[in-house]
Amino acid sequence: MKRYLNFFIALIAIQGDLYAAEAGMPQLDPKYWASQAFWLILVFTVLYFSISKFYLPKIKNNLDDRENKINDDIEDANKSKELSESKLKEYEKILEDAKKEVIKIQIESKAKLDKDIHEKKEKIEKEIEKELIQAQKEITELKKNSISDIHNISKEIATNIIENISGDKLNESSIKAAVEEISKKNVGKYL
Amino acid sequence: MAGNPMQQFSVHKIGPEINIGGVDLSFTNASLFMVISAAIILIFLFVGTKEKKIIPGKVQLIAEMFYTFVAKMISDTAGSKAKPYFPFIFSLFMFVLFCNMVGMLPYSFTVTSHIIVTLIMALFIFIAVTIIGFAKHGFKYLTIFVPSGVPAVLLPLITVIEIISYLSRPVSLSVRLFANMMAGHTMLKVFGGFVISLGLLGGWLPLSFSVALTGLEILVAFLQAYVFAILTCIYLNDALNLHH
Repeated sequence: MKRYLNFFIALIAIQGDLYAAEAGMPQLDPKYWASQAFWLILVFTVLYFSISKFYLPKIKNNLDDRENKINDDIEDANKSKELSESKLKEYEKILEDAKKEVIKIQIESKAKLDKDIHEKKEKIEKEIEKELIQAQKEITELKKNSISDIHNISKEIATNIIENISGDKLNESSIKAAVEEISKKNVGKYL
Repeated sequence: MAGNPMQQFSVHKIGPEINIGGVDLSFTNASLFMVISAAIILIFLFVGTKEKKIIPGKVQLIAEMFYTFVAKMISDTAGSKAKPYFPFIFSLFMFVLFCNMVGMLPYSFTVTSHIIVTLIMALFIFIAVTIIGFAKHGFKYLTIFVPSGVPAVLLPLITVIEIISYLSRPVSLSVRLFANMMAGHTMLKVFGGFVISLGLLGGWLPLSFSVALTGLEILVAFLQAYVFAILTCIYLNDALNLHH
């Protein structure tokens, strides 16, 4: 690396020597200064006017158009968003109303059902009571009837028993009186 | 043409001599490359604005990028008051950039590597900015030399420094661009000369330097155009918004 560097330095020195005769900056030669100034001003003026009068407005218009389009699009999107949000709210409201309605219907039907059930229950209870009373009556009747039946059966049984045991025939009316007496004593136990 | 690294900057006449009032205004290679650069800009902008598409094509996109780049540069440095000067700064930026870039082509001529060209542009900007400053603020524009918040003892010194720095603006503006372009191109030429003189064996190292330097020079070409334009914006800002 160092060898290369030395080589370069030597070369620069040689080149410097070679071109020493014509060395110097052409920039400092005033021969064409006026020409350069003149052409610079001319070219730049033309460039400036064509850019400022023609191209920049075009670019600006296009950029503005694009910005307007983007803004319009954003506005549209926002509008759509708002619309969808309001629709969503509407939908939610409908849903809520429906829910309320459902609850209301539920309560109403429950009340109705309760009333119905209550009424039917009362009716049935009344009927049952009626039937109970009826049954009670029938039972009482049956009991009454059964007492005389029992009397008769007891009398016959007693007659038969006496007949079979003693072989005598007793007076029916005396047997009947005895049975009645016993049954009167004991009927309270069973009825 | 080969050899002398300064040869590339020499100006020579093309076509007949044009002499107006004893002043030589002949068309030269410098004039030719000014015309070429301007023509490239105009063709580029023509193609870029030919179709007004919502979704831009490649050339349209680049043209619009240049527009927004310069517009942003101006609004960032000089504010909204500088809007009327947008076309000028845009033209200036494009002209300097394309002159620099065209100068990067081999065998071409770099217009901006001549002090007279950059000096005229810088002087125009300097004078225009000064006129704008006085037109907007009258004699109050002179307060640009008196920064606020400076101790009274230092004020005379600061004012002198401010005046010198203000007056050296055209020099610094023009010399910066000219020196950068000239130095870069001279260096490229020197390394190019090394490639030839070292031949097939030793020429590879300077060749690789040359390649790297070409990349650097393209960066410098863009950067110097940007610096030239942004300094113009800053000077304009001083003239438009007088608060130092």
